Amino acid sequence: MEYDENGVSIVSNDFKKEIFEEAKKDFRYEEYVRGCLNCGVCTGGCPPHRFFDFSPRMVLQNCKSNDPALVWGMMDEYVWACFQCFTCAMICPFLNNPGGVIAILREISVRRGFESAKKVLKPYSRVLLKLTAYGNQLSPDMIQPDFFPDWGPHIGYASEDLPLKRKAIPMPTLQVTNLAWDVAPEAMKELYTIFEEAGVFKIIEVVDPSLYEIIQDIVDDVRSE
Amino acid sequence: MAENILVIGGGPAGLHAAIELAELGVNVSLVERDTFFGGNPKKFKYKYLFPDLQPAENVIGELIKGAESNNNIKKYLSANIESFKEDGKKFSAVIKSSTGSETKTFDSVIVATGFEHFDPAKDSKYSYQLFDDVIDIKDLERMMGEGNFTRPSNGKPPKNVAIILCVGSRDRHVGNQYCSRVCCTVSVKQAIELKEHFPETEVYIFYMDIRTYGFYEDLYWKAMEEHDVQIVKGRVAEITSGPDNTVICKGEDTLLRGPFEIPFDMVVLASGMEGGPQSPEMADKLGIELDEHGFLKQANVTLSPFKSNKDGIFLAGACTGPKAIADAIVEGGAAAMDAYIYAKKNS
Ligand code: SF4
Ligand code: SF4
Ligand code: SF4
Repeated sequence: MEYDENGVSIVSNDFKKEIFEEAKKDFRYEEYVRGCLNCGVCTGGCPPHRFFDFSPRMVLQNCKSNDPALVWGMMDEYVWACFQCFTCAMICPFLNNPGGVIAILREISVRRGFESAKKVLKPYSRVLLKLTAYGNQLSPDMIQPDFFPDWGPHIGYASEDLPLKRKAIPMPTLQVTNLAWDVAPEAMKELYTIFEEAGVFKIIEVVDPSLYEIIQDIVDDVRSE
Repeated sequence: MAENILVIGGGPAGLHAAIELAELGVNVSLVERDTFFGGNPKKFKYKYLFPDLQPAENVIGELIKGAESNNNIKKYLSANIESFKEDGKKFSAVIKSSTGSETKTFDSVIVATGFEHFDPAKDSKYSYQLFDDVIDIKDLERMMGEGNFTRPSNGKPPKNVAIILCVGSRDRHVGNQYCSRVCCTVSVKQAIELKEHFPETEVYIFYMDIRTYGFYEDLYWKAMEEHDVQIVKGRVAEITSGPDNTVICKGEDTLLRGPFEIPFDMVVLASGMEGGPQSPEMADKLGIELDEHGFLKQANVTLSPFKSNKDGIFLAGACTGPKAIADAIVEGGAAAMDAYIYAKKNS
């Protein structure tokens, strides 16, 4: 994909329009986008606004402009700057929900497998794998210094000798490090059905085809047991 | 025989209505719930009234004197309407006051029960009542009326002051979707007064719009041109405690600076006007309607704004919606005329 000087991917006007229409068709859109008088109170309360060029007021204004190009301009990096804390929705005097609009746009980005969505979701592939294939979110073996810099200087110690440390925990830990808890095969099969029905597997296939294949192999194994 | 008319509420509108009717020879019963006449301007000791910044005392004092010196007005203080019923085209009311209960028949009724100031503590983002130096316009008005312009926390002159508009107005979250109409003008007036008192103090006004309607437009020109008041477009999102006994206003300057976090010595919240608990109470007692904003409903906003939905009961002043004192006085006179005509026809 080609990008303009603002890092926004270059697509046809028709495509921009299509994306905007898709957002507007979402059942939440009408509730989230109401009148907006540029008061800025949402942006004043928005945590990432202090660190990035990101403003929920602009999210609302771009939507209100009815200009597909302005909405498209947010689809790449912009929508991923939001923390989804919904402070904006709590304080907007018009009851707008800029964070909610962001959620709608992100979902489109993921559903359609846009590059920005792939990039943002890449670091979460381990979590996605654990979650969808094993019904666990985080297991001990995922605790590695590279992935948890925010844990501070003790991450090194925390990630060493995992089997030994597991033994010291006074509750059933399966004595393994690749799972946090045991999920029964019946429960897993039910989870797979839910993920299938809800379109989760399909989304993974779009944003990360190789991850999807790994997950599907495990799913097939569990199902044939 | 002279007509009998009941006026409920002894603020600017009620006082003016009572005086006008008394001048026409009507027997007026003026019922006030407080221990004094003058309504909110008296209660909260307003200092100057816009647009001409004449002392509030001149206006309110004049009205009170007019009512008190008129023998056609029977005055009831600390009083309320205990019961009320229609009696053909007339009305029968029990007035309860410190001197006991009295049952009277009236030819018509004027309701002028006014408004309540929005309580900013209801909107937690402003931290009202949490910090001493966060006050609202009625607090500042009272302080200035007492000649005090200093910080409540330490009695010192403030280095800088933030005035935040639209507190409790134009906000679906607090449930008041309307503009309170007078707070912009009052706030700009207060900014000028602050600057006149402490020329060194920096004064900021944070606005969504500056609605100094009509002839008051040049009030904020004056604030900017003569007093260098900073008028910044952006509503404040949060007020927190800051260093050196300051309060920090956090928000977005939507036109110039982007995000800001500014420590202030004092913050003044331009809290708006509400129908108050007395509006539903009156609606209930008199069998008249409330509007969707919690004020008393006018029969026809343009054609008969002083009529309630019930024949013979008239409305004046801020009980039908936010308005300035000058407008409330005008309405008192207009409602008096309507009530007089009705009484004349049916007595
Ligand atoms: S939900 Fe997003 S846009 Fe809204 S305040 Fe939180 S970070 Fe900002
Ligand atoms: S708080 Fe609401 S009205 Fe104000 S700028 Fe944000 S979205 Fe618009
Ligand atoms: S008069 Fe001004 S401060 Fe008051 S509600 Fe209207 S716009 Fe807001």
